[in-house]
Amino acid sequence: MPTRKVLLKYPEHLIKEPVLFQMAKQFDVMPNIRRARVTETVGEIVAELEGAADNLAAGIRYLEERGVQVQPLEGDVVE
Amino acid sequence: MSCVRGLRCKECGRDYPIAAVYVCEFCFGPLEVQYNYEQAAQSMTRDAIAARPRNLWRYRELLPLDGEPTDGLQSGFTPFIRAHNLARELGVRDLYIKNDGVNFPTLSYKDRVVPVAIAKAKELGFDTVGCASTGNLANAVAAHGARAGLRRYIFIPTGLEAGKVMGTLVYQPTLVAVEGNYDDVNRLCSEITNKYHWAFVNVNMRPYYTEGAKTYGFEVGEQLGWRAPDNLVCPVAGGTILPKIWKSFHELERLGLIPSVRTRMFAAQAATCAPVVTAVHRGSDIIPPMKPAPLAESVDTSLRIGNPADGPYVVQAVRQSDGWAEMATNEEIIAAMQLLARTEGIWTETAGGTTLAVAKKLIEQGRIRRDETTVICITGNGLKTLEAVRERLGKPIPIAATLAAFEERVLGA
Repeated sequence: MPTRKVLLKYPEHLIKEPVLFQMAKQFDVMPNIRRARVTETVGEIVAELEGAADNLAAGIRYLEERGVQVQPLEGDVVE
Repeated sequence: MSCVRGLRCKECGRDYPIAAVYVCEFCFGPLEVQYNYEQAAQSMTRDAIAARPRNLWRYRELLPLDGEPTDGLQSGFTPFIRAHNLARELGVRDLYIKNDGVNFPTLSYKDRVVPVAIAKAKELGFDTVGCASTGNLANAVAAHGARAGLRRYIFIPTGLEAGKVMGTLVYQPTLVAVEGNYDDVNRLCSEITNKYHWAFVNVNMRPYYTEGAKTYGFEVGEQLGWRAPDNLVCPVAGGTILPKIWKSFHELERLGLIPSVRTRMFAAQAATCAPVVTAVHRGSDIIPPMKPAPLAESVDTSLRIGNPADGPYVVQAVRQSDGWAEMATNEEIIAAMQLLARTEGIWTETAGGTTLAVAKKLIEQGRIRRDETTVICITGNGLKTLEAVRERLGKPIPIAATLAAFEERVLGA
């Protein structure tokens, strides 16, 4: 099953919402959280997402539409 | 004689052997090279260093190579000048410019990190190197990779200015223009790194690549007469160089080569894309989500990275050193480029303009004291960002080819 290592950044208004769980349930994607932290204004989760390729793409699109920024773990590699 | 111990996760502290890996299998934190400092101290003395060739391998005990370096032998040890004229203009006493705009062969600080990554890639058995870049990194991978005899794949977004493309194409790598935006190029490169056995210098070679940036700080320490400055102002894009300069000063201190480090580290970004500055101003460890302003609205395209890989470590170094971060507007950047050229005869790229503009601001704010020693980091050459100053530098005075015309039009006689 394909996997994607991602860094999720939550704006303040989404920190208390179970967005990742809702995505996992709706698109049959399994998140494996490795690190997470929250400040007053932003939340951050480092996770591996596993699922069928189409589900992964749809799940990530869902997160982005909800307002979560989904970034590759490597950061921006275009320097 | 290698002093390398292995790799260690910067987040959870787990150790790994030397390999082409870049994140911890457990917490996905970035990996960093560890050294045996006691062993390094035995051979890395001031006298021993002074007797070595003037290149980046001068500090080889603290670089991640096992064998003899064969790449980048003409890179590093760039000019470090006391900037009397600029100091007078800014009203400070002791100001220095470290000028990587004349680094060899591609005129930027990437001539430090890329040779280290390529040398390590060869040791690890790679025959192909790659990168994704819009400028300096592409130039450096194309050139250093050519000399090292490696296959080179370089990825750029479509629509880059011709000048930037030529500065890479001339070295004849395989240059791939990817349709889509920066995010698409980032994503594709991550996928390629995971699928092909290639050395992507700033992805799977990142632990080694970033170590090369320490040589900038080692040189500042040596060229300043074996001490660290009171203040250092550094541009931030991916966030590689500032934390590594901070690390280099502490390594010099640990080896007894310089006295205690009291340097305050200052980060500079363009106002059109300033995620790290925003995090510092908010007092946050997390780099806030940020989309860079469109290319057309940004003078400083080289610092235009919305999701800097090492951004959190920039914030950490700034905070640990009791430093600060500031941003500069397009107008301030251009004015600072002109100021540096007019006072010190140095034409820097826009990132250097950003750094000087921020230094000026920090002095005016009183965060940089006027009686202290300050180093401004110039990391690239103005010839690479011609479009930034086009139409802003005035025009020559046209005259007829007569002495009378010269005296009338130029001398106003």
